[in-house]
Amino acid sequence: MSWQYKFLLPALLVLLSIVAFPTFFLFYVSFHEWVLFKRGMPFIGFENFSRVLTSPEFLQSLKVSVMYTFSTTTLTFILGLGLALILNEQLKGRGIMRTLIALPLVIPPVVAGFAWKFALNREVGVIGAFILPAMGFMKSLLADPSLALGSIILADIWSKTSLMFLILLAGLQAVSPDLYEAARIDGASSWQLFSHITFPLIKPAIIIALIIRFIDAFNVFDAIFVMTSGGPGTATQTFPLLGWKIGFLYFHLGQAATLAIIMLIMTIGVSIFLIRRIT
Amino acid sequence: MSKNFLKAVGLTVSLALVISLMSLPAGAAKTGIRVLVFAQGFAWPELFGSTGVDETERLKQFEEKEGVDVRIEWGDETAIRQKVAADFAARTGRYDLVLVGTDGGVQTYGYGGFLEPLDKYLELYPGGYFDPQDVYPQFLDANRVEGVLYALPYYSFGAGIMYRKDIFDKYGLTSPKTTDELYQVLEALKSGLRGEGITDVYPVTMRGAPGEEPTLDVAGFVYAWAGYPAWFEGGAMTPDQIKEKKAMPIFTGDFAPGFGAFVEICQKYGPPGIATHTWVDMMNIYAMGKAAILMPSAINAYAALGVTEDEQVKKYTRFAKSPTGSGGKQIQSFWTFSLGINKDSRHKKEAWKVLTFLMGKESMQAFAERTQWPNVTMKSVLYSDVLIKKYGMEEIKLNEESILEAEPFYFPYIPELNEYMDRVGTATSEAIAKTKPVEAVLSGLQTWALEAMLRAGYYKK
Amino acid sequence: MYGQKYSNLKKLVLYAIVFTYLVFVLFPLIWLVQSSFKSMYQALKIPPALIWRPTFEAYQKALGGGMLRAFLNSAIVSLSNVVLVLVLGVSAGYALANLKTKASQNIGFWILTVRMAPAFGIIVPLYIILRSFRLVDTIFAVMVAHLTINLPLAIWLLKSYFEEIPSELAEAAIVDGATRTQILLYVLVPVAVPMIVAVSALVFLLSWNEFLFAFVLTSEAARTVPVLVASLAGTMRFDWPLMCALSTLALIPAFVLVVYLQRYIVRGLTFGAVK
Repeated sequence: MSWQYKFLLPALLVLLSIVAFPTFFLFYVSFHEWVLFKRGMPFIGFENFSRVLTSPEFLQSLKVSVMYTFSTTTLTFILGLGLALILNEQLKGRGIMRTLIALPLVIPPVVAGFAWKFALNREVGVIGAFILPAMGFMKSLLADPSLALGSIILADIWSKTSLMFLILLAGLQAVSPDLYEAARIDGASSWQLFSHITFPLIKPAIIIALIIRFIDAFNVFDAIFVMTSGGPGTATQTFPLLGWKIGFLYFHLGQAATLAIIMLIMTIGVSIFLIRRIT
Repeated sequence: MSKNFLKAVGLTVSLALVISLMSLPAGAAKTGIRVLVFAQGFAWPELFGSTGVDETERLKQFEEKEGVDVRIEWGDETAIRQKVAADFAARTGRYDLVLVGTDGGVQTYGYGGFLEPLDKYLELYPGGYFDPQDVYPQFLDANRVEGVLYALPYYSFGAGIMYRKDIFDKYGLTSPKTTDELYQVLEALKSGLRGEGITDVYPVTMRGAPGEEPTLDVAGFVYAWAGYPAWFEGGAMTPDQIKEKKAMPIFTGDFAPGFGAFVEICQKYGPPGIATHTWVDMMNIYAMGKAAILMPSAINAYAALGVTEDEQVKKYTRFAKSPTGSGGKQIQSFWTFSLGINKDSRHKKEAWKVLTFLMGKESMQAFAERTQWPNVTMKSVLYSDVLIKKYGMEEIKLNEESILEAEPFYFPYIPELNEYMDRVGTATSEAIAKTKPVEAVLSGLQTWALEAMLRAGYYKK
Repeated sequence: MYGQKYSNLKKLVLYAIVFTYLVFVLFPLIWLVQSSFKSMYQALKIPPALIWRPTFEAYQKALGGGMLRAFLNSAIVSLSNVVLVLVLGVSAGYALANLKTKASQNIGFWILTVRMAPAFGIIVPLYIILRSFRLVDTIFAVMVAHLTINLPLAIWLLKSYFEEIPSELAEAAIVDGATRTQILLYVLVPVAVPMIVAVSALVFLLSWNEFLFAFVLTSEAARTVPVLVASLAGTMRFDWPLMCALSTLALIPAFVLVVYLQRYIVRGLTFGAVK
């Protein structure tokens, strides 16, 4: 038994040492009132939690975050899986296609955000002011409350499908073609091949892809901030934007820590759910 | 393979350590002063080059003379905020000079005790690079919290209307002196442009993005309509005044007319995307020739002039003073890009030297020559050849008048200002986008403000 | 599914799907590269000019701004991250794959939770801790921070791959008297090459692209490419062509890397060894 733990130890130690203090700090601070421009840091128990959880901003951000995270996670997953399955085949030119698909990963999210902000801009953007109005679409994609969320989701899909694609493709590598050969000889259909061979074998890759994607989507800040600043109004104000404002704009560091912990609990909950559901 | 592997790991880690150690400053004979700021390449280009990381001759001269090593660090606004907050929260005093704006930074950091009061330095070290007499008093005053000076201004702007004379001439219009005239002009522009079937030029471009972006302008409208900073009863401006008079917030009171006017103008006469427009969008729209008026933060039109290649925009842009509202005051929009000294800095004397150098006449002049914007703090620079040549004496004089007539204290100076700025701006965006009607938005603001002020203990017996 | 002979019609459909997605991916990229050769005014002009006189202003600015240093830093951080993640992650992944107890499930999960705390919560404590160790503005700090992002992902991916490898391979080696380390290095790693390459590519890209930690933890010396992009063309001084030029320059090494590596992400070759 012990050799496994010996092999695990270095990684665990590294991770633990980096994460320990920040986690402890967050918990400690969330039970205190800490406003940067005021003296003192009194202990207030669960008051931060009740204040944050009952504030109208929290409920609004909850709505936005849930819609955003769920949409982009499922859409990038479906797209990534589809592309990975297709490009796992012996198609001509798949090398180039794989490379091209991976490219958005290299563009920092800030830049991607600006690219989409400028492209979708209703007054001077290539798409928003040129292509769409020519097709008769006159609304502002970034300033219309009902469309803004869709726009940031689109930008995120552009940025992050590549990652899903790569993880799932890597997972597909684990499936030996001999299994397919054997099953095909036995007369299995495409769908059966997928559901009985492919899907069970890539479950681990699917789990990790979904969880990583979920964590990232839940935590997106740069691109949304740059594209809509959380607006119009609070239509695209996700939790990270709210948390950033509370901590770095309002300087309520205690409340920011509280929101961080609430987010952490939610993330852990969803991850556990995903793992149980899929395995 | 394992041996080579370990070797590779060892090599990489050592390499990384070596390089990172090399990057630590070699025992400095000079005092290192760290400056944290944004606008790389256009702030202090004469010192740091157009890339922001050059070590120009001028900079080296200064460093030699004063025995300092200026280490400047650039970022964008969001990122800078985080670094400053982290530094203050940890009280590490890593940054000697930090960027603060007069729209929350000076107030919040000042009251919070993170900035070093500067009056005594002005007394102790008169002469030198920075001459307070040359600076327009409004710009210095804006950096005072309850009379204490916390930062020195670099570039700054006041309110004004920038407009396209050619478009105005076409419809027989002149620049509005009052807000009633403003409405008339906007209406005429709208019907004129639409009448000709022009759908991609808008009467006015303003900014309505959520957060603190529009609040400087919105507050200016409130001031013009109410005739005083109508945020708290009786126009209370400081924590002491609020506590003394037990002044409640009045967002549903005198604050409402100016706010409503701003929202209405955005909705009726502005471009469709205005609810998420930042100053960058405002600038771009004007630069691309798609707006007849840019207001009230005129600086953004001057910035557009630097970017545009549209001949009409270049030739026919004019400046006019801000119109007067029903409260008898002009619409304000006032801000300075300032630097303050970190209270935890370990080298305050040297930091002061660097500060005055960066804010001094030489720098201001270089700024004017590089950007060609008339948004400078010093009279001598405003009237320098390069600006007079570009805009003509008349426009320069108008700019000066608008500065002299400006009222920097058109919103309260309280420690919670950052949060107020953010919430008012977000409310503005919500109202413009019609997510909620104006009354609902304002009463939401009022409810929040009442609760926040109560909890902060402003109204205790 | 894999290896099937597809009818030409089916092939056409598959190609069409991929092509459509590629248009979606490439359109902004092409627009980005194109804008890097325009002036700000030209870049925003509608309709966009397909033929114009290119300017290299943006590139001049980009290359002058400490770009080379940033590239060097990014390269060092990313490459050393790959090495460290592989060293730590391969052994941890192998260990977890062989821990058939409840314990292994839980450890695996807690490793993943390392990534879960939101950034705005972590910045201040991380800054404090690094400041007290005087590690601010060092490549070392950024490297370490990136480990928290990359290690959990790598461990999970490698663990799942190791679990798929038939146990006979390892058992045969044990019979031959090999130690665990030898088994890992000489038997399993060669088999796991496809996954290792995939993980390396992912870790490199994620590290190359990471902004938040790199920004908070560095000043001038250890700046990475995303931080440089943000400071050279940040919200205050907005220069779209400059951002495009920087991104184009940053694209090139990553593009080269991906082209080179994806050839190696081919199916495992040695499952036949079991037979």
